[in-house]
Amino acid sequence: MPESPRPRVAALALAVGLVLADSSIVVLALPEIYRELDTSIAGVTWVLVSFNLVMALAAVPAALLARRVGPGRAASVGLAVFAGAGLACGLADELSTLIVARCVQALGGALAVTAALELLPATVGSERRAATVWAGAGATGAALGPAVGGLLTELVSWQSIFLLQVPVALVAAVPILAVAKHEAATGVIEPELRRTGRPHLWANLALAMVSAAIAAALFLLVLLLIEGWRLSPIEAALVVSAMPLAAILGGRLADNVPDARSRAAAGAILVSGGLAGLAFLPKATIALTLPPQVLVGIGLSLVLSALTETALGGRAPQAIHGGWTISSRHAGVVIGLLALTPIFTADINQQRHDAIDAGTAVILDSPVSPLLKLDLAERVSERLEEERGKVPTIGPAFEPLPADPVERAEVEQLQGELQDQLDRGATHAFSTSFILAALLGLIALLPIALARRVDL
Amino acid sequence: MSGRALIAGSIVASVLLVGAYLAAGGSSYEPEKVQDPCKPREWTNPQGLGQIANQFTISALDGAACRLGVSRETLARALATPEARERFTRRYGIDDEKLARAIRAGLVRAVDDAEEAGALSPLLAVPLREALQRIPLEQAVEIVNDAQAFLGNVESFLGPAQGILEQLLP
Repeated sequence: MPESPRPRVAALALAVGLVLADSSIVVLALPEIYRELDTSIAGVTWVLVSFNLVMALAAVPAALLARRVGPGRAASVGLAVFAGAGLACGLADELSTLIVARCVQALGGALAVTAALELLPATVGSERRAATVWAGAGATGAALGPAVGGLLTELVSWQSIFLLQVPVALVAAVPILAVAKHEAATGVIEPELRRTGRPHLWANLALAMVSAAIAAALFLLVLLLIEGWRLSPIEAALVVSAMPLAAILGGRLADNVPDARSRAAAGAILVSGGLAGLAFLPKATIALTLPPQVLVGIGLSLVLSALTETALGGRAPQAIHGGWTISSRHAGVVIGLLALTPIFTADINQQRHDAIDAGTAVILDSPVSPLLKLDLAERVSERLEEERGKVPTIGPAFEPLPADPVERAEVEQLQGELQDQLDRGATHAFSTSFILAALLGLIALLPIALARRVDL
Repeated sequence: MSGRALIAGSIVASVLLVGAYLAAGGSSYEPEKVQDPCKPREWTNPQGLGQIANQFTISALDGAACRLGVSRETLARALATPEARERFTRRYGIDDEKLARAIRAGLVRAVDDAEEAGALSPLLAVPLREALQRIPLEQAVEIVNDAQAFLGNVESFLGPAQGILEQLLP
């Protein structure tokens, strides 16, 4: 009786989803890591950047290695390295250790993901079907990553994100081990040598630009929600779940439009539109982030699948071209993060300063007695010192509230006005970065327009 | 669905969203700008000692902040506690003498503003100005922080003298 391919397809999809989720799974944990490891925003960004940078650099060499040593063996070793490095990440108590472990994790991940694409055609029966399963698993992982990471950070700890990856990676490796054993027993590694064809330049370039915009959207939105609006990781996870939910809708929409270039263009426009919406939020309200997230979610689903299909279509071997798409996507993420982090870090410091000045002005210009207002200014000052450069929760500075009902009402009103100024500052601090990310999405329309030849 | 319809729909959705957010004030949702402390701030017809003290404090902070080249808000937070003051002087490279001169200048501006607004008699303003130009730093900070007590004392000590002067003057 022939062996059912289902467990192996599921294992390969799980491996791809797990590794590509790792690109974004720590996004919601970054503020927690930032506090616990006592680092800077620029420093903590490297937890994300290091993984994506190594993935970008290692994806194509990993694909070549997978073809040379055998995709079964490569995927098994890749998943083992990924799991081991995940364990090291979970046990890291310093930023430098965490970043090194993330780099090793990316090496293992690159090997597993590209080898999976080489294994899938034989498992599912066709290269086209393999590309669809591979791209779908990757998109699902990338979309679900932040929400899962947020839930784990809140319910357990940021370390649990990495520790949980260990058993999942090992479970995914089990069905693939059979292929590795077969490769070792038969010595058959590369049944035929085919021309690899040139990588699809325009599709990969567009993938890089769009990925930069999407990474920025996710990273900036999470920081806005947690650091700016003081949401907990679990609350932020629920909020950003709007994006993967919308991505499911986008996937259905994509099924009805056969032209990949139109899907890619529409997706890039929606991603840019959503990002521009986030840049011009008229109030610090969660509900107002939802419509832009829906646009980004639908857009990312349309554009990523269309560009991946275009980059892989008619090209062989799939692992090498899959490697190029992985490389482009992760290079885009790195570019997006490295280009925008210094901009919003500078903006958030400036806006925090402006917001605190505006809040103090509200206190000084208020009708409360001079002694009380200076006492409040003092307490606000102390609160700022306690929060050491972060956007502060201002409530404790107003406690205890005055016993006199008139004064109490005045102070409560002041508290609301001061918090409003801080919310304005925190929200406005991200505007420039969101606009730049939206521009990146729009610039991606140029390579999409040039990608005339679609080999599907 | 055709590719063109999908692209057109994407453009419309994006433009509608951004347009709606801009119309709702998305481009101006930022902290309010604080006023330049060097620009005169009008006194709003103060009634009673509490309100006069309030505006006196604001004027003093404005005057001192203008002299130091910082915002009134930054200075108010800096004068709140000795620790905050130390952080402020370290950050801006200001020594005690410079800070004292600035606060004295601010207090004199407050007296000028109070006199101009009719909240302080010229007969009280003249000696007050003279006295404030010479007071030590700690006392100057104390006056800014508790202008009500200071003005209350001025009223009780110099008030009777003002009455005598008004009787003597033609």
